[in-house]
Amino acid sequence: MSDTLLVIAAKAVKLAEKLGASQAEAYVAQSRSFAIDVENSAIKSASEKRDAGLGIRSVVDKRIGFAYVTTIEEKDIPNVAEQSVSLAKASIPDPDFVSFPEASKSYPRIKDMTDSEIANLSSEDAASLVVRTVEATTEALGEIQAAIEAQLSANSGRRAIANSLGVEGTFESTSSFLYSYPTIKTEDDQTSSFEYQISRKLNEIDPEWIGVGAAKNTLASLGGRTIDPGEMPVILSPLAVGTVLGNGFAGAVNAEEVQYGRSYISDAFGEEIASEELEIIDDSLLRAGLGSRPFDAEGYPSSTTEVLSKGILKNLLHNSYTANKDGVENTGNASRPSYAGIPSIAPSNFVITPGSGTLDDLISEVRKGVLVRNTYDRPNMTTGDLSAMVAEGHYIENGEVCCPVRSTLVGINMRELLKRILRIGDDTRVTTSVVSPSIVIESAKITSG
Amino acid sequence: MEDLAQAAIEATLGAGANFADVRIENTKTTIIEISDGVTKRSMASFLKGAGLRAFVDGAWAFAQTTNLTPSGMKETGDSVARLALATREQVTEKFEIDGPTFKDRVKIKVQKPFADISVEEKIGYVKMIDDQARDFDKRIFNTRTIYGDLWTELHIANSLGTSVWEEYSLPRIISSTTAKEGTSRQRGFRSIGTNGGFEEFETKAAQSIGEESARLVIDLLSSVAAKGDTYDVIMDPILNGVMVHEAFGHASEADNWPAHATVLEDKVGEEVGPEHLSLSDDPTLEGRRGTFSYDWEGTKATKRELVKDGILTELLHSLETSSRLDMAPNGSARSQSFMHPPLPRMSNTHMEPRDWSLEELFQDTKEGILLCGFNYGYTEPSKGQFMFQANYGYLIEKGEKTQMVRDVSLAGQILEVLPKIDAIGKGFEMDAGTCGKSGQGVPVMSGGPHARIRSMPVGGL
Repeated sequence: MSDTLLVIAAKAVKLAEKLGASQAEAYVAQSRSFAIDVENSAIKSASEKRDAGLGIRSVVDKRIGFAYVTTIEEKDIPNVAEQSVSLAKASIPDPDFVSFPEASKSYPRIKDMTDSEIANLSSEDAASLVVRTVEATTEALGEIQAAIEAQLSANSGRRAIANSLGVEGTFESTSSFLYSYPTIKTEDDQTSSFEYQISRKLNEIDPEWIGVGAAKNTLASLGGRTIDPGEMPVILSPLAVGTVLGNGFAGAVNAEEVQYGRSYISDAFGEEIASEELEIIDDSLLRAGLGSRPFDAEGYPSSTTEVLSKGILKNLLHNSYTANKDGVENTGNASRPSYAGIPSIAPSNFVITPGSGTLDDLISEVRKGVLVRNTYDRPNMTTGDLSAMVAEGHYIENGEVCCPVRSTLVGINMRELLKRILRIGDDTRVTTSVVSPSIVIESAKITSG
Repeated sequence: MEDLAQAAIEATLGAGANFADVRIENTKTTIIEISDGVTKRSMASFLKGAGLRAFVDGAWAFAQTTNLTPSGMKETGDSVARLALATREQVTEKFEIDGPTFKDRVKIKVQKPFADISVEEKIGYVKMIDDQARDFDKRIFNTRTIYGDLWTELHIANSLGTSVWEEYSLPRIISSTTAKEGTSRQRGFRSIGTNGGFEEFETKAAQSIGEESARLVIDLLSSVAAKGDTYDVIMDPILNGVMVHEAFGHASEADNWPAHATVLEDKVGEEVGPEHLSLSDDPTLEGRRGTFSYDWEGTKATKRELVKDGILTELLHSLETSSRLDMAPNGSARSQSFMHPPLPRMSNTHMEPRDWSLEELFQDTKEGILLCGFNYGYTEPSKGQFMFQANYGYLIEKGEKTQMVRDVSLAGQILEVLPKIDAIGKGFEMDAGTCGKSGQGVPVMSGGPHARIRSMPVGGL
């Protein structure tokens, strides 16, 4: 079957060349996604999505065009190729464009990227996993009235890429995601929280751990209150690190944003921009990593990139365009949202090196501060200003978690945040955007009211 | 399209479903992005496919196909019905789907269809805006202009007898600028989104959007980060719209009721805000980005008065929620594309204007903060909290607008914020956006007049 996609890709490249493209690239992807949804603690719906499509990027004299279609049928290729080439011809040339990546001798092999249990998951087995999760949540909540939302999804897909310079690659991957999200009501309060796991292997997903964790987190969120404002230490747990660093810092070391001067670290290459404690590696070769792949979205071979070491900014994340523009080695961070877009730049597995100490150890060292379990906020990527709501978190008093907080915001500039990282724990967890332990920030502005 | 839809419905019912529906979509889009005068993206896309749902005794199944042939429809209809039957075994709550049926064909009236405009002309317009922004001031060192046009024809049919065909045409233009002076580095952002053809890019506002974005970023160079504190806040029409959308709109989506996932659950018919407050969601407004005649289940869309004179009166319904809650359907079910099942969603959401003039608002506020435009926002209706971020603002001192501030976040509780709205202005303005829920983005607008909220926590550095 991999050959089928590659054959389509190769055909599309040839067709675009014939229509006048000096270089062409085709990206073909096919996926199956199966999901079971729970509403109000009972299964309610199932969905099966089969998606396949083809995107063609064409170059005519440094002018670039792109077109895609949501099918991989042979009859649709000519129209997409034609649109891609004619858009290229109409575009304004980009003097900094040099070339698509050249063919590489071989691609690295990454272990444990697929799981046949996920690819062949029956609707009965999927239902049983999600029911176990809901039961675990219900049981852990005891007498408390709850409405639980939950979902299990199983995804498997294959992609292929080919270009005029001989790049030819294809690979397969699977992933599964399971969460439980209870809403509970007491006489005078209503709250909700969640727990989830995401993995390339079905047997690494533990419905009982998720179910019980979701219940515990929700119970711990009851009775939220506002707190006295001021400057105080902030602990970011892995989920919060995923948003603040996984999005808010990974986006700043995107070479395209830096080249355009749109990033808050635009002037800082090679400088000490963070606390010595902080070490970040972008590792696209990580075994079973959610962001792992043998080659990036342009077919450039994967590797490991040191981003921050002892607080010094070592490398930016590049695709072929930005690497050519800066005259540096490509880091292979081209990324695209399936066949339906052109390559941009994104981290693969953004890995924060653990330090020492459990989350409880970190909490025990704080006299008065805020533990942020989760936030959905991102900084202004140009100024670095971050003003984040504590979507879920607790007030810490005398080294112990005290009460959950509500209507509370954390304010700090990202460049300050990076420097004020006091210590890093060893409670590493895989989130959707980062592999990280908890992190302690020396101080940030807390507003609450 | 109609024959294919019937084939899909027959197959789904034939395999044992109680209710079936289908959306067959044909969408063409063009996206052009120019940065610093150079094309970064010229993109054409073609979305063609069908999304099918089968329903049996309280169990739903969804499937999609790009095989738009009678046999493709039959095969998908058959398999989605089998999936619903398998799911039924696990379902505990049974209910039925019912609703009015519609047959109609709604052609959009545009002066200049996107398909009639050459790519060269589209690129020419984007280049003009990009140059305009860059030429505005020497301190601007990066410009980025994104153009989007989308044309859709959508056929919706269901087993109750509905068969509706509707056409959409949505233009979008975004100008984003970055400027630097000394160590201050700022970004500016302006966008327009309406409902119409290429003529919408020929209005005065769309022709000068580069300049507007540039003016904002130059002003921002002398802004400061807001000081985190509790303020009396005057929201401009755009931010007010975002407040209504995040703090209230999502919580009134009726799928939250059977799920028991909103703090508004017991509030229908009850007072949720002051008497002078009315909030509406209106897909029937002329020429707006969130405007449509029928929703993605084929139900005729009507104006919904979510809050009328302070009382929660209406919710945003799909056929499932109006059936289960025994309320009147109002056509609020929308999907991002044929690849997604429809969900209750907002359209054009706004606060109804009252009688305060802007001058009166300032003078009466004395000390506070005026917040304008928006970056983003989100909400958790089940927890009752929301957050949204203004793009910029000004301190109000002694009743006068003074120092400019930027990126100001507001956090609050759904049940606490509306009672704090004590003054509502006269004007009315709306802004375009894309609203996300359950992984689906749909085009929306939100707005209203200026309005004041007393004592809100405002995040800052």
